Amino acid sequence: MIPIAYWRNRKLYTRLIGSRCKRCGAEYYPPVKVCKKCGSVDLEEKEMPKTGTIISYTKLTEPPVDFKDYSPIYLAMIRLDNGVTVLGQIADAESEEIRIGMRVMATIRKWTEDGQNGIIYYGYKFKII
Amino acid sequence: MSKVYIKSAGLIPVGEHWNKSLTDLMVEASLNALKGQDGVKIDRIVVGNMMSGYLNNQEHLGALLASALGMKGIEALKVEAACGSGGMAVHEGYISVKSGDYENVLVVGVEKMKDADTQVLTKALAMAESADFTQVVGASFISLNALLMRMYMNKYNVQEEFLDYFPVIAHKNAVTAAHSQFKKAFTLEDVKRSPYLAEPIRLLSSAPSSDGAAALLLSSKPSDVEILASEVSTNELMISQRENPLKFEATEKAFKKAVEKAEINPSSVDFLEIHDAFPIVAALSLEAMGYSAEGRAGFDAANGKYNLDGDLPILTFGGLKARGHPVGGTGVYQIVEAYMQLTGTAGKNQVQGAKLGVTQNVGGVDTTSVVHILRKVS
Ligand SMILES: [Zn+2]
Repeated sequence: MIPIAYWRNRKLYTRLIGSRCKRCGAEYYPPVKVCKKCGSVDLEEKEMPKTGTIISYTKLTEPPVDFKDYSPIYLAMIRLDNGVTVLGQIADAESEEIRIGMRVMATIRKWTEDGQNGIIYYGYKFKII
Repeated sequence: MSKVYIKSAGLIPVGEHWNKSLTDLMVEASLNALKGQDGVKIDRIVVGNMMSGYLNNQEHLGALLASALGMKGIEALKVEAACGSGGMAVHEGYISVKSGDYENVLVVGVEKMKDADTQVLTKALAMAESADFTQVVGASFISLNALLMRMYMNKYNVQEEFLDYFPVIAHKNAVTAAHSQFKKAFTLEDVKRSPYLAEPIRLLSSAPSSDGAAALLLSSKPSDVEILASEVSTNELMISQRENPLKFEATEKAFKKAVEKAEINPSSVDFLEIHDAFPIVAALSLEAMGYSAEGRAGFDAANGKYNLDGDLPILTFGGLKARGHPVGGTGVYQIVEAYMQLTGTAGKNQVQGAKLGVTQNVGGVDTTSVVHILRKVS
């Protein structure tokens, strides 16, 4: 994790701020500067809905080095209620209980930390509702 | 515009080269490719590599290799497209020869992975997707492929075991390949007994980490093998941003462009070297190129279509899974292997009467796809 990059994106990571095209209405997370549907550069900030549906998931037993203390990680692709798909962790889960089609809600959890005295990084995870 | 030929090729065995450096790997593969080419003046060097900066504290591989080969002064550069770096290097070499500005170009693909700790390597491979939105949530590269595999199994109602025929085919072919990392065949039962790394992807269904380098001398002077087409396409960087993540659009487009440029009928292809990093990648690649119907690639594999003695042999020396996957080297290995098939030097792995071959090398999860079509010059 790069501390300044995290700071720059803190709003996105805590509130799921994406973008919406003012011309065609397409919505995006992560936010974009150019609309992929119509090519417009006239976009505004848009907060994503906090509920959605699991469209795929996996239990990851060998996460990357920044997350090595948090194994296993339950990772999912979530289709939010506005149709935007987000990648995120399922919080408080066991893989046995996760299913495609389950409803989830975004919540704020600890992602990782820079050692014992370093920064703690918080951001969205999804919990089953 | 010049035509582009493969004048010679060289490689080193894929594996664990503890006593060789990144530079040693590149130099050795280059010298193997340049054996017997003493009079040839090389005009350009292109190196394909993904992770040398992060894993080996080394960048500037173009100048490094030129210097190490005693060729200072020559134009040299590195190209990067994640796991597609090797294929992209061949593409860069191809367009330089085709332009007519360069007569002979040396292309080298290399990766030195075994020096790195597994978790560091896992982080490095995840750099194929977004730092800000993929890596921050703890995703690894393999987990992205696992998400697609689960989605595929759910959509087409396919069992895991049908997809796991791909590693079985790969390992069977690698047994007799002199340069392969694993010379051990295994059964579907062996795959099923191995642990999950990211459900539903298992240890024995994942490509390994490897050290390796392969090299090609491309030339505008006619030779035994011609590169009929070299095409590249890209997809959305992140799988979560794709309308249909189960469609490998980059591979579909690159393959379609290549078939048109080469003016071939896809059904006349004698063998395919595909990017089988994971079984789901093999399946979606074959479906994107139209060789299997959607949702059916695993069944075709189970029915023997893709065996070395089947209708359309794939992974003829073991592919990424069993020949090994030195990431930035892989795309060049594929083309060296196609060269061996087309020059009748594939030994026990020879596809009889091979005249036309296709290679497909992807970076990320089909984020970049590089397709080459090669023909034996008669
Ligand atoms: Zn728009």
